Amino acid sequence: MLFQTPLITSYKLQMAELVNIQRWLTSIMVKPGSLAEKVQRADQHYHLDHSAVIRGTDRMSPQQKIGIYARGYIARLLECMSAEFPAVKYLMGEDLFETFAKAYLIRAPSTSPDLYDLGKHFPAFLKASQPKNKVVGNQTFDLPVDLATLERAIAEAARIPGLESQIPDTSSEPDIFHLFGDAGIHPSPCMLLLYLQYPLIDFVRAVQHDEQPDAPPPAESYVVVSRKNYIVYTHTLLPWQWFFLKGLQSTGSYRKAVEDAARSSGESTDSIMADLVLWLPIAENFGYVYRAL
Amino acid sequence: MDKTKTQRLGLPNLGLGVGLRSKHYSHLMHNDPVIDWFEIISENYINNFGYSRRVLEHVAGMRPIVMHGVSMSIGSTDPLNLTYLQQLKDLANFVNPVWISDHLCWTGVAHVNTHDLLPMPLTLESLEHVTERVNRVQDVLQRPLILENPSTYMEFHSSVLHEWEFMTELVNKTGCGLLLDVNNVFVSGSNHGFDPEFYIRNIPHHAVVQIHIAGPTDCEDYILDTHDQSVPTPVWKLYRLAQELTGGVSTLLEWDANIPEYDELVAEVGKARQVLLGDYPDVPVYRSPYLNAVSNPVDHQLQITNG
Repeated sequence: MLFQTPLITSYKLQMAELVNIQRWLTSIMVKPGSLAEKVQRADQHYHLDHSAVIRGTDRMSPQQKIGIYARGYIARLLECMSAEFPAVKYLMGEDLFETFAKAYLIRAPSTSPDLYDLGKHFPAFLKASQPKNKVVGNQTFDLPVDLATLERAIAEAARIPGLESQIPDTSSEPDIFHLFGDAGIHPSPCMLLLYLQYPLIDFVRAVQHDEQPDAPPPAESYVVVSRKNYIVYTHTLLPWQWFFLKGLQSTGSYRKAVEDAARSSGESTDSIMADLVLWLPIAENFGYVYRAL
Repeated sequence: MDKTKTQRLGLPNLGLGVGLRSKHYSHLMHNDPVIDWFEIISENYINNFGYSRRVLEHVAGMRPIVMHGVSMSIGSTDPLNLTYLQQLKDLANFVNPVWISDHLCWTGVAHVNTHDLLPMPLTLESLEHVTERVNRVQDVLQRPLILENPSTYMEFHSSVLHEWEFMTELVNKTGCGLLLDVNNVFVSGSNHGFDPEFYIRNIPHHAVVQIHIAGPTDCEDYILDTHDQSVPTPVWKLYRLAQELTGGVSTLLEWDANIPEYDELVAEVGKARQVLLGDYPDVPVYRSPYLNAVSNPVDHQLQITNG
């Protein structure tokens, strides 16, 4: 840099070496390719010689020692991906799942201390991996995307802040608040709404129970994932119910949510209002909504 | 920071403990824990407001809790993650842990987190770097940081200190505590050809706050820290030596893959009582011809748990 005295202390020089070594090893771990290729590329890029950085022993060369970390990185995170997406893994089979999961880890290495963030973008990655020239009307490639979306939502609903220990449970108290406009009905903070091309709830449940379900045929599916008293629920909704909850989430207004539901589902507002009388207690029981008293 | 040589930094000997794992949630919600204390993986609860946190609250009401982290990355050349430290502090406010620990390692650089515990070149510059960061973390957390020796599989040509020397200097410079993982000493000693007993005899015993025990895997050319087996005899021998030299500190059994039922887990850590009397279980180091064993397994953190 101009006009700055190039006073580089030994400490700073050594620290620069530490920075370089850490970047070198990280790149070997997270980049694609065979171990030998990765080590060679990293050596060239960071101007290091791995055999001059890592001590070899009689039993193992420096590259073999680096390989323990490189292999462990992928194996460890693949296990995490398998734990979060067991139904996607079942659907794809182990080899294909690992191919996609490895490609995902290479494309988007973790940047968070929280392992739960690891799978956050996997559904979008699968979506982006669909062939560009897929036949219109062929929904086959949507199936793993929808499945990953649903499994990710289940994982998120299990962890995000919910109603427990915040809002008194009023679901068993009979009242008719919901009959009157903006009646203090609010969407639960841990309710997630998904529009899917496949009915997948039973499929995911069967995989969770170590069964071997067949993939379902395509059929549009309005899904809610929610948590109440620490129990995660996944249900299929009628379109008006789903649009009502979506409207409640986006506007915060009961009346506008009814209007949204009517407009989007083709039902009349009177019909929806009447059905809500019966359905809202159920929605409250499963933690889709709550009442602020 | 008080740097006087108070035993265990004045922290208590909690007795025998195990890691709190989702596999045992249901059991612990309905039964007495039996064990003296629990260690949690901090990252598993930091942003988790579901059933896991409910179980944690329940268990913390019955037994002491210690927070053990895997992502502080105290040796990284990236800036300290202040958001993470604040989250750690927030969790500490919720759970009121007896202490907070992490590892002498780095987990990534350039904002990438490998979720592995990577070794440091043990140089004077590394020591200065880690010292400065430990001091800053202790200022944020307002308590001593307890640092664990990791299992390592490679050494750097540039290292000028042995790990026990590095740990000793770090204690002297920062007043931090040590989590002595005797299994990791065994693993690293086997992999690098040093005497694990010599290591344990040459750390500052007054600063050891806690001991980890675990079962590794012998992969023929090296030993891997897999946390998926019973504790083998040589690790038990190091454990007894460490307890004698420290005067007695909290013991924690780590078991993170192929996790057994709760009763079996408790029975395994309970063997420590017999070991202290000189009665060692006859357990060889588990041998695996497969290369697919995973060190530091973490997928147990992602098991979906439902109330």
